[in-house]
Amino acid sequence: MSQFFNQYFNFNVMGEHFGEVLVAFLQNLLVFAVAAFLALLWGLGLALLRQLPSRKLAPIRFITIAYIDIFRAVPILIIILMISGGVPFLTFLPQEVRIPHWFGRPDPFWYGVAALVIVYGAFTAEVYRAGIEAVPKGQMEAARSLGMSHFQAMRHVIVPQAITKIPAPMLNELISLLKDTTLVSVIALSESVLVSREILAERLNSSALTLTAIFFLVIILPLARLVDYLIKRNQLKITRGSHIEVA
Amino acid sequence: MRKTRLAAFFAVLLLALASVVAIGCGGSDETTGGSGGGTTSEGGSGEPLSVGSDIPYPPFEQGKSGSYTGFDVELMEAIGEKIGRSPEFQDTSFETIFRDVGQGKFEAVISAATITPEREKEVAFSDPYYLSEQAILVKEGSEIGGIEDLEGKTVGAQQGTTGLELGKEKANAGELRPYPEGPDAINALKAGTVEAVIIDQPVAQNAIEEEGGVEIAESVPTEESYGIAVAKDNTELLKEINKGLEEVIEDGTYKTIYKKWFHKEPPKQFLG
Repeated sequence: MSQFFNQYFNFNVMGEHFGEVLVAFLQNLLVFAVAAFLALLWGLGLALLRQLPSRKLAPIRFITIAYIDIFRAVPILIIILMISGGVPFLTFLPQEVRIPHWFGRPDPFWYGVAALVIVYGAFTAEVYRAGIEAVPKGQMEAARSLGMSHFQAMRHVIVPQAITKIPAPMLNELISLLKDTTLVSVIALSESVLVSREILAERLNSSALTLTAIFFLVIILPLARLVDYLIKRNQLKITRGSHIEVA
Repeated sequence: MRKTRLAAFFAVLLLALASVVAIGCGGSDETTGGSGGGTTSEGGSGEPLSVGSDIPYPPFEQGKSGSYTGFDVELMEAIGEKIGRSPEFQDTSFETIFRDVGQGKFEAVISAATITPEREKEVAFSDPYYLSEQAILVKEGSEIGGIEDLEGKTVGAQQGTTGLELGKEKANAGELRPYPEGPDAINALKAGTVEAVIIDQPVAQNAIEEEGGVEIAESVPTEESYGIAVAKDNTELLKEINKGLEEVIEDGTYKTIYKKWFHKEPPKQFLG
């Protein structure tokens, strides 16, 4: 038992490597920030493509649905490995796209961001879709009858209402995205899990991993509470202030 | 009525879960029981010897589960034959391998593991069975000629290995990337995302022979050697392994295996 505690809760090891792990954790946050921003945009784009009207646009709807289904099904780890292992060989692309070093970030950073955006775009698209479909059909009909185009109706009537319904599920996706940034360690981006494992190899002690876990807890626990609060607030709104107990 | 049905459903679910857990525990009990018995019994007990190794690391360890092969694997099998314990290989990750053997997850480790003072604090090593050299692997036609040319370059290595240490201490690289497995680093080299890889010489040699497109810029002698690791208190097994290794070297089995995997004569000390 004491061996277990020494292996995972050795405060000397945590203390000595604190700075190192923190810097690496900032790398996770940076991957998260870039990927989350792009995934939120990409997901909205996909959700709107999925809602396109008329029979003529059916092929686009079909392709979008196929995209969303595929990237929700394939493990992110595989996508990360495929992008980092495959994109450098796509010789028709310019060198700075095949092996990107934009903004002074190394290529594994961008391969990781790309993989996360591709996959989380699909997940967030489903959240947007739930929001859009939760807006009563009459809203779209009313907007169209006022002479708005489909796009105008989406832009001014549907999406603004849809957005108010999705913060809680969207935050859940973002929490999951933040945790999945650790997967980019497999392509040797020096993020917190990789650095912790390096420390493990050097010190033969896992406490740096525990420290990393603590960093994630510190960031994510408040977000989880926020999700609960948002759900509760939304419930109250729906019931127009009547008393409903939400655990 | 609905409530009882729901309760019944959960009861069945719980039962299923419990049986899965029980089966899982039973299975692992069996293996730990077997290896535990092996640790205490005398040599030649005939019990299988559980051996941890980080696979793949060709040409030392490669192949699929159940039919692993490679220099380490065949050497361990030859030693196992001498001491009457047939090895059973477990694929595991290198960075935790010494901790795991120390804690008894398996009895021995043969995984192209360099004997270092740090590792010797955690585990006991057998006599050396291989003298290691690190190779600076580059793309064919690269202008990198040796370790001194790595300054400012992006260099790959495998997590937790001597190659990575060498990179940290001597290469002065612009960026040193630790990959989870050796082949990942070599793939990154081929993809051009790293400009050089520091890795064990035979692994580099194997990459050249198997796939080409890469070459060794420089071989760096490290004055290091590989050993088989066992838990510190398992002196019995260590003695047996050393005895087996000696016999394998003396009767020429070592030479045969060495030549098969490295295509050259072994160093003098390994000739019977």
